[in-house]
Amino acid sequence: MELWLNYLDQVLIYATLALSLNLLLGYAGQVSVAHASFGAIGGYAMGYLSLTHNWNFLFGTVIGMALAFVIGSIVALPALKLTVEYLILLTLAVSSVILGLLIATPSMGGTFGLIGLPTANLFGWHLREPHDWVLPSLVAMLIVYAICHRIGESPTGRVLKGIREDPISTQALGKNVFGYKVAVFGISSALAAFAGALLAAWLQLATPSVYGFAFALTIFAIVIFGGMGNLTGTVLGAAVVVLLEPVLRRVVKIEAARASIVQLIVYGLALAVLMRVRPQGALPEGFSIWRWLRGERARRHRIEMVEGWVPKSIGVHERAQAEGVDDVSDEIDRHRKWLDAPVVLETSGVGKRFGGIVAANDLHIELRRGTIAALVGPNGAGKTTVFNLLTGAIAPDAGSVKLNGEELVGLNPAQVARKGLVRSFQDVRLFNRLSCLQNVMMAVQHQAGENFATLAFAHRRVVAVEEKTRTAAMDWLGFVGMTDFADVPAGALSYGQTKLVSLARVLATEAEVLLLDEPASGIDTRWVDTILDLIETVREQGRTVCVVEHNLHVVGRLADHTYFMELGEITAAGTIAELTNTPRLAEAYFGTS
Amino acid sequence: MILAVDAETLRQLTVDGFFRGCSYGLLGVGFALILGVTGRFHFAYGFTYTFAAYMAFTFTFRVDLPFWPSAVLGVLVAAVVGAAIERLVYRPLAANAGPTALLAVFVAALGLGIAGDNLVRLFWGSETQAYFGPTKKAYHVWDTVFLNFDVWQAASGIVITILLALTLRYSALGRRIKATRVNPDLARTIGIDADSTYVICFFLGTICAGVAAIWYALKFTVDPAMGSSPIIYAFVVAFLAGTARSPIRVFITGVLVALIEQYSSIWLSVRWTQTAVFVVLVGYLTVLAVRSSAFAARFRRPIMRA
Repeated sequence: MELWLNYLDQVLIYATLALSLNLLLGYAGQVSVAHASFGAIGGYAMGYLSLTHNWNFLFGTVIGMALAFVIGSIVALPALKLTVEYLILLTLAVSSVILGLLIATPSMGGTFGLIGLPTANLFGWHLREPHDWVLPSLVAMLIVYAICHRIGESPTGRVLKGIREDPISTQALGKNVFGYKVAVFGISSALAAFAGALLAAWLQLATPSVYGFAFALTIFAIVIFGGMGNLTGTVLGAAVVVLLEPVLRRVVKIEAARASIVQLIVYGLALAVLMRVRPQGALPEGFSIWRWLRGERARRHRIEMVEGWVPKSIGVHERAQAEGVDDVSDEIDRHRKWLDAPVVLETSGVGKRFGGIVAANDLHIELRRGTIAALVGPNGAGKTTVFNLLTGAIAPDAGSVKLNGEELVGLNPAQVARKGLVRSFQDVRLFNRLSCLQNVMMAVQHQAGENFATLAFAHRRVVAVEEKTRTAAMDWLGFVGMTDFADVPAGALSYGQTKLVSLARVLATEAEVLLLDEPASGIDTRWVDTILDLIETVREQGRTVCVVEHNLHVVGRLADHTYFMELGEITAAGTIAELTNTPRLAEAYFGTS
Repeated sequence: MILAVDAETLRQLTVDGFFRGCSYGLLGVGFALILGVTGRFHFAYGFTYTFAAYMAFTFTFRVDLPFWPSAVLGVLVAAVVGAAIERLVYRPLAANAGPTALLAVFVAALGLGIAGDNLVRLFWGSETQAYFGPTKKAYHVWDTVFLNFDVWQAASGIVITILLALTLRYSALGRRIKATRVNPDLARTIGIDADSTYVICFFLGTICAGVAAIWYALKFTVDPAMGSSPIIYAFVVAFLAGTARSPIRVFITGVLVALIEQYSSIWLSVRWTQTAVFVVLVGYLTVLAVRSSAFAARFRRPIMRA
């Protein structure tokens, strides 16, 4: 019995460490094979302080966590811009350095490590036997579970998932991707150190081999087995991986030495097979055992791919009419309105070179309140580059971009978005594994739950704001006619539908200026009209819009003012009629000579 | 700078570093070929290394073949296994996993590596075993000592690297591999069989690992964990050189890494030297991350400018 309790302790402690990794790997999509060595930081700090200073293991654990938090945050800095393979390599190297330093430091016991640690003392309770450890390790596991769940299943977790799916698009919605990555790396490392200290206290030793590469792989395997982004799955995974060896030994009756080898063969092959048949792990993200037991099977999303489905937009025309706006206004009128409208965004002399290539030269663009400006020109003229320059995705070499008189050059895309200048992407860039509703909720600004401190201390505010966010997002989904698809993952939508959701997402930011990159390209005519209606409604609401578009029908209908771009320069501006009547442009681009 | 060593030790360190570096270089060349062309994070590379040594060992001592044929056979069998892993495991898996293929392949490869190493344990035992092949001979040149195995290792490493570089540069197969490396989908549209190109790269890459393993086994021993350190060095070398670079450059990087490791033992105690290599690596990755535009260009698929 005592023996099985010992295995139970091991399951709980391994699960604790694996949970901390799942927060990073599953939610934030940051691969780390260094978590065992962050565990080592906790274990060694605790062990060293209790051996040499007779510190209680709890204090040592706290020191270890603080240390791991700092080191983890530092590791996150280079990790920010690395792709998966480089991240694996970086964390591998970092864990080798951490273990190498521990081995090479005589006061840390060298290759032997710290052995014979004193029995853990929990407020006078000496944890000697396996049964003593069951409760403390269960509580520890539950604490870490609760922290990971609190972060992962909150608005903050939504942002982390956004970073996992598409960091560029997350940043374009005003999220501080940099800060989130560093924070989640730090928190996850600190939790790993907590688990590592627990492991050392339980084993009464902290040695390089305990936290070695094999252990790192085991922890990694547990998360993969259980399912990335599913915390219950991780606990299950820990049980399977840890209990495999004793079950083989005692139930299947394989001799001890062979059992550990067979265990590794079984779980190694199982990993490979799992990746083939169920890459999302035993319990996929979003799956809950409790809900499943209560009979609430995941609703099968029946996606209406019926021929002829059209978005059921909350009557764009009705709304426009209700507001007394007259739907049809001719181009001359619109251009007159443009001339009277106040300037919201103004660029002057913006330029950018890539080596010898001039991507943008001396750009002067004005966007005016309540109007739509269009940017047209041949492929490669630099239209998307203009959006990149305005939003700070590319820093201009020269010139200035002023939004309501405030300089934007020097700000990053997230800061620019928060100032009220938001863009959409030509290739849409939705968060494919998140539902349409979550995609739009991500865009809503000023969310209390996106802050770690509020998350920890102001639960009620988080809940209240989350409810508002949901309502706002549903409204915008309704606006583009996608309410029926709120729970459908964005990856399951047709191309036209993704364009609608992406429009809802941009609108939900409530930004004053919207830059829409080919909002109506690549979809059929019926849908084009819907999208154009929507954009016109947005204009009537007094927002400022700039579209990049090739379709002259679209430009002709939407644009109050058109800029013509060639080879990185604005070579003409005016109404689309004026531009198409310019013989040179007509021949070069419009093909209407 | 004051060196804490005399010229003789320095020469010996250089010689040791060079020969060791030929092994790192060859491992890196094979791994870079696999990762660079196929994009598979082939962690089971270490297992194929171990497997080649054990197969050669088996052909020599169980089948009683002479050394050279058993070495060649061992390497070839391992190469077939490497190719089979791509064909039977990675390819269906990557097709299934879509955009998360890299992570899925990495995890499967980890699993295969763990399972493979332990299968070796199960069949051949966990203990280290000596591999007696050709007679060991020591050469004394210029106050330095090295073995005939070292010379063979260096020679085979250099020959394989140059052959591979020539193949990539001048042959039809090389053009095919390079086209696949730049863009497999595009390569498919002009009639290149990218899938079998992947298999060929695994075959060739595993040969590199196998050859390095044979010399290691002769010089030291065979043991089930012998692949765990080479796989790390293969990574380091391949990434430092850039996986899309010429094999010659990768090989030279391998030699440089080994020299850094050797020379760092002048200032640092021996137990720090491996850490020194990783510190260099972390520093390098940090620099890469900071200059991330340059970093994109080194990666195997040039990112199209939108």
